[in-house]
Amino acid sequence: MSGPEPLRRIRNLIDPGAGFGAFVGKLGDALVKAIDRPLGYAVNWGRIYSLWPVHLETGCCSVELGAASSPRYDLERYGVLEAFGSLRQCDLIIVLGTVNRKMAPRLRLVYDQMPEPKYVIAMGACAITGGLYFDSYNVLPGVDNVLPADVYVPGCPPRPETLIQAIMLLQEKIKLDQLKSV
Amino acid sequence: MSGTVDNAAFNRNDDATLDPNKAPANSTLPTRSFHIQQLEDRDRFITLSIGPQHPGSGHMRIIVVVDGDIIVSADPDVGYVHRGEEKMSEHRTFVQNVPHVERPVIHDSSNILYSYCLAVEDLIGMQVPEKGMYLRTILAEIDRINYTLYWLAILGIFMGHSTMFMWTTADRELFVELADMASGNRITHSYIVPGGVRNDLPQGFADKAFKFLDYFETKRLPEYNKIFYDNPLFRQRSEGVGVLSRQDAINLGVTGSVLRASGVTFDVRKNEPYGIYSDLKFEVPIAKTGDSFARSILPVLDIHQSLNIIRQCLSSMPQSGQVRTKLQPNPRGPSGEAYCRVESGRGSLGHYVVSDGTPKPYRHKMSVPSVRNLLALPYLLKGARLADLPIIYWSLNIWPVEIER
Repeated sequence: MSGPEPLRRIRNLIDPGAGFGAFVGKLGDALVKAIDRPLGYAVNWGRIYSLWPVHLETGCCSVELGAASSPRYDLERYGVLEAFGSLRQCDLIIVLGTVNRKMAPRLRLVYDQMPEPKYVIAMGACAITGGLYFDSYNVLPGVDNVLPADVYVPGCPPRPETLIQAIMLLQEKIKLDQLKSV
Repeated sequence: MSGTVDNAAFNRNDDATLDPNKAPANSTLPTRSFHIQQLEDRDRFITLSIGPQHPGSGHMRIIVVVDGDIIVSADPDVGYVHRGEEKMSEHRTFVQNVPHVERPVIHDSSNILYSYCLAVEDLIGMQVPEKGMYLRTILAEIDRINYTLYWLAILGIFMGHSTMFMWTTADRELFVELADMASGNRITHSYIVPGGVRNDLPQGFADKAFKFLDYFETKRLPEYNKIFYDNPLFRQRSEGVGVLSRQDAINLGVTGSVLRASGVTFDVRKNEPYGIYSDLKFEVPIAKTGDSFARSILPVLDIHQSLNIIRQCLSSMPQSGQVRTKLQPNPRGPSGEAYCRVESGRGSLGHYVVSDGTPKPYRHKMSVPSVRNLLALPYLLKGARLADLPIIYWSLNIWPVEIER
């Protein structure tokens, strides 16, 4: 590291030391901030109208999800399409009611296999607090210990209009997402 | 993670026991040829886990062992929605039990509550006013149609027929709206309570009901035949598939439309009439073939009878009168037991309630038709093709949440 004074100065400039890392980090933040408005808007716009839910029925709220997919309510207007495909193409998981001790590990496994970004809607009183089954020996008191829920939908079971409102709330939430500087 | 059953099956065939060289010569262990047979079987058979995250399985899992395309054995693995309803009943009074008793089949909630209320009234010794019995029948038949249309939607979409899902879920809204008008909630009504029904029908219900029933029967139901039941694709996939003979149906103890599809005339409404069903005129349609097609079309023939029953009730119902016997707070009866059953959308559904003289049941057992029909599933799937699994499974008229209660 010895040498003439000017050369040492230049080497310090090129050498990725502490000061240089901070400089790159700041540059990254500035870049992300610069492209966040236009690019982030486009990315979020793509996300909010293609919410594909996983087909995993944990409880009896699935009847109202079926009704919400029916022509009268038509969730597909909002981009929510029950795709019946692989869960690796899905980005939304609607917890349909009761989660019990046997279903909870499976639910987490399904959630872990989904690609990022992923969103969770806890549908029904059972998925929020256990609901009617608060004192049952086999039912979890809410899904919070298993999955991070984004939107809660109260009701037992919620009406399809309530589920549609939850979808719209989730879309508002996704619009606020920002690009991350990793 | 994928379950204990698979692991047990593979541990049994682990390599140490399968290696023929390691087995001692004069042991009581199976011979070499048996081991080779085991090895060949393990290579030939594949264990598939269908569910719970699978579009065709509902709330349960079916462990299927296949040899190529042929199903060797099928084992339904239930318990993903078990909520302990029977145990919960012991900590609630007879009236407090009403909301959670209807949750196992929320789209057929009136029928599952009907038999519970019959059992409780039997225990307490209550009479139901005549108008209350008519209103019970109306809601029970509306829910039977409601259930059947939802089941038909699921059957349609798992056969790959999206139109059937769209049409039946749209037409189901007619009956959901009628029930919503009468009771105040779309599917979980809690309308039938011990002693009668909660409230009288609102004004204008009968006119709206006649309008909806006529529209549904004349405009919509004939269309189902055109697009679904006369569709050659559906007929080829369902006719002669999963045949359950008359004697097997009786031996396996199936019920409801599955039993009637095999040629047995049994309907609790006819054979053991409850409420006002003995005064009503209706028929019990049966089929002789016992295949998946007969099991698929019989519930729709039942819809015609249900529409007739609703019309008869609406026109012959007493215009005024009580709808509910007044109950004491925390009603209780002498110690004893009661078992009452009704014909639900899936078959005979019974509640067995034991009382020890307190306001809470000592024991409450639900005898549900989905379990009885599920017991026929391993029998029917043995030897069937894997592609026939959805039609055999859903034609058995099962609602998986009800199996586990």
